[in-house]
Amino acid sequence: MKIGDSQTHSDERETIAAAQRGDRAAFKSLYDRYRDRVYNLIFYSMGDDLCAEDVLQIVFVKVYRGLPRFRSEASFATWIYRITINECLNQQRGRGAPHIPFEALLGSDEELNPGAAADLQHADRERSEIIHRAIMELSPKLRAVVALKYLEGLTYEEIASVLGCSPGTVASRLNRALRELEARLRPLRRLL
Amino acid sequence: MRCWRMDLRRSFAKYLNGELEPSAVRRIEDHLLDCGWCRTRLAHLRNGHRLAQEMPRFTPQRDRWNAIEAAIDSGQPATTKKTVFAGWRDVLLTPAFAFSVIGVAALAASVFVASGRRAAGEGRAGTLVAEALDLSEFHTVNIADIEQNNKPHVVAEGYVSELRVNDEDGDLSFKLVDDLGRPGPFIVCEIIDPIKLTPPAVGSRVRVYGVSRYDGQTDHNWYEVHPVLNIEVVRQ
Repeated sequence: MKIGDSQTHSDERETIAAAQRGDRAAFKSLYDRYRDRVYNLIFYSMGDDLCAEDVLQIVFVKVYRGLPRFRSEASFATWIYRITINECLNQQRGRGAPHIPFEALLGSDEELNPGAAADLQHADRERSEIIHRAIMELSPKLRAVVALKYLEGLTYEEIASVLGCSPGTVASRLNRALRELEARLRPLRRLL
Repeated sequence: MRCWRMDLRRSFAKYLNGELEPSAVRRIEDHLLDCGWCRTRLAHLRNGHRLAQEMPRFTPQRDRWNAIEAAIDSGQPATTKKTVFAGWRDVLLTPAFAFSVIGVAALAASVFVASGRRAAGEGRAGTLVAEALDLSEFHTVNIADIEQNNKPHVVAEGYVSELRVNDEDGDLSFKLVDDLGRPGPFIVCEIIDPIKLTPPAVGSRVRVYGVSRYDGQTDHNWYEVHPVLNIEVVRQ
């Protein structure tokens, strides 16, 4: 579901209104709809799956408490993502970002051996893992933009609204993220 | 030769995502006809764009709904340690409050030791959190080997060597050690407020379930189980 989906948006508006009236089932429905999306945003923003589920829990409690203040004319997705990003920033303060050495991604000689390449070319799981790890090597700010763009399909303006920055900053971060991603994976281009 | 049309290059990602106005698209494409440098840059970005489109999605391992409902019903603040601290900073920094908290914690610890059993009356939130856990999913780690662990959810067994109130946020933490009589490796286990677990008695042997973390703050640099999700008393 993308933000611009008007039918879904209309259904969602009713669900939000019910949740604002204290309907727990309606809030559960919102949770079910956004759980994985919020989880992925946390996971990519923080680069740490150890606490992503804990933060997910905190975010949804905050969403519940903040619902009475949510205005229905605004985008619920943008609002919930903003809460998510703010909570990730809270959690990251004072905590060093975990570093995954890129050498670990490049791996053993066997992986770089052209003989093994043919096998790996068709190994979706490994390909996915390689891309995932390369994305995790980006800085948290760049990862957040990439996740909002490529997982959530938000426009530059929507991303800017979630992150509280200008669309120009979003464009610049996304440019940088794609450039870095490509540069990191260039040695593995034949495998990908 | 390097191209200095940064104004155009800044829009390349937007161009790849199809979010540019037609006039801006035309400007970029006209420029690309004459500029090999920008064509190379765009080709690199396109590769990055293609890879980013394949970024994997993940699903949380456990459904947190029960814990979320419990936290909502308990009326506990949803905020993290730091924000809770920020809100209560003024109160916590008063000596009278700090002495009261330390006194209460010391009293609680001595009651646990004397009574030789776990205090009753865990909060509803704590009970619900414990019920929502599948304890078989926790990876067993030895205290001395915690550095090698790379699993998010762990269970560690050891003796409770210290129980104290965190100066910053009022959370309870204790040290889990292999040997009470000798200094050695330890894991700091932190019980955060929303989970409301009963703290174990100092000297008891316990099995602690929770999320494994490394605390890299200055003066810390230790491994933690944080938050503690469940505690089983093995021996009082």
